[in-house]
Amino acid sequence: MRRSLTLPAPATVRRGMLVAVLLLWELVPRTGLLPELFLPALSSTLAVLYEDWRIYSAALLVTLYEVALAMVIACGGGIVAGAVVGGIARLRDLLLPVFSSLYAVPIVILYPVFTAWFGVGPESKIAFAGIYAFFPVMLSTAAGIRTIDPQFIVAARSMGATLTQQVTRVIIPASLPTVFAGLRLGGALAIIGVVVSEMLTAAAGIGYLVTLNRTILDSPRVFAALLMILILSVAYYMLARAIERRMVVWQSAGRSPKAARPENAVVVPA
Amino acid sequence: MQHVANLARREEARQEQVAIEVANLSHVYAGAQGAVPALEDISMRVGAGRFVVIVGPSGCGKTSLLMMLAGLRSQGQGTILCHGRPIPDPDPQRVGVIFQEASLYPWLTALDNIEFPLSLRGARDRETREERRERAEAMLKLVGLEGFGERYPHELSGGMKQRVSIARGLVQDPPVLLMDEPFAALDEQTRMTMGHELLRIWSTTSKTVVFITHSLTEAVYLADEVLVMSARPGRIIDRIPVALPRPRSYEMMATDVFGQLRERIWQQIRKTP
Repeated sequence: MRRSLTLPAPATVRRGMLVAVLLLWELVPRTGLLPELFLPALSSTLAVLYEDWRIYSAALLVTLYEVALAMVIACGGGIVAGAVVGGIARLRDLLLPVFSSLYAVPIVILYPVFTAWFGVGPESKIAFAGIYAFFPVMLSTAAGIRTIDPQFIVAARSMGATLTQQVTRVIIPASLPTVFAGLRLGGALAIIGVVVSEMLTAAAGIGYLVTLNRTILDSPRVFAALLMILILSVAYYMLARAIERRMVVWQSAGRSPKAARPENAVVVPA
Repeated sequence: MQHVANLARREEARQEQVAIEVANLSHVYAGAQGAVPALEDISMRVGAGRFVVIVGPSGCGKTSLLMMLAGLRSQGQGTILCHGRPIPDPDPQRVGVIFQEASLYPWLTALDNIEFPLSLRGARDRETREERRERAEAMLKLVGLEGFGERYPHELSGGMKQRVSIARGLVQDPPVLLMDEPFAALDEQTRMTMGHELLRIWSTTSKTVVFITHSLTEAVYLADEVLVMSARPGRIIDRIPVALPRPRSYEMMATDVFGQLRERIWQQIRKTP
């Protein structure tokens, strides 16, 4: 016990930091160090969420819907395209330089075009966020697929694996870590894409609430929206990590092998 | 007719004695800078149950040769017969392969890794899941890893991984075992222990083994016969029978006979640039 006082565990330090941030968020505006316009107190922000929970939950649903569909485009498309481009040498040489240079383009400039094509409704957000997250997911999957040890496949062939078995029993499980990294990245970027596009032009969603309340200088309502986005992003990340840990047992060393049978990783290739 | 039938029978009997027969095998690679001759006129015959070790300088085509014996790589000219039949594709019922890096699947436990080749047969096989499990467990025991079946490869040492890999190669009970520098990544002590273990397993299973190594000591210690290959294009430049008695023991390494055999291999290898 005494030792933990002198050298607290990292988890304890992290929890302490979180508490400190929340405390400062409450105390700094309360004591008048910063005006409430710049930083509304945590309690006023939470009060707004409580009062307007109908508005905020409706906005959250819109945002979630857009994020979910954008993730289908980004993660589904990105992982499949990345696997194909990364796995086939000729396509890799042909397309990877193109995609890598496209990645450098700030795709947000396309958003006005998307609103012209798809309107100001959810469609333009889904399209924008989908494309925005697609390229990083594709590139990281393409890079990850190439790290699969070719010896795995030679060994499988020597053991009499058919082509189908080589894919289902070796390539898919071997690429699971890459796929999960892609899912985590794609989800995070899809959230960013949706919120940014909602802030630019929209009539619904959390990002829209940020912009709307900012223009009327209603800081607590702006921060309430920010808090929701923050919670959404962190919740997504933690969910993705939790699923990943269950599925990719062999990557988290030192875990009890009983906790998750390895067959899970083979039978359910996400 | 009777005479022909007799001949055929005698031919069969003769082939039963020979596990691997390679005749005039040559291979040329189509490299980026033109054709690269990799193997030149390789002929060898490995009797059933024999332990043959191939040594040679890096890049002499030892691994290519082994891949061809395993049906993993198509050959150029010449013939390869495994128990009298060609081996155009991998056939785990006839030939098991053990690789340098244990190449175990990290997402499977040791036991599941051993069972992997059996599970590939799946519907084609009448063996039940329990029977497969039992066989895998028997192999685990054979390689001295009882109780480690639930461990993942990253929880095993290098030597233990190679034991699992050997068990995986043996589980389909192929008469021929091909080993491509299986102990190269291990430290010297583990390597010696593993060599000794391999001989113990070999003596209980009576497999034909073709074993590639860089280590001259390992070659002499393990082999019935050592084949020395030249630098590229790979040719067999010497065949050295090892007449040391079996079972082999570590003490034999200190004997004159052992030293002379080792020296002879070394003289052959250093001749090649």
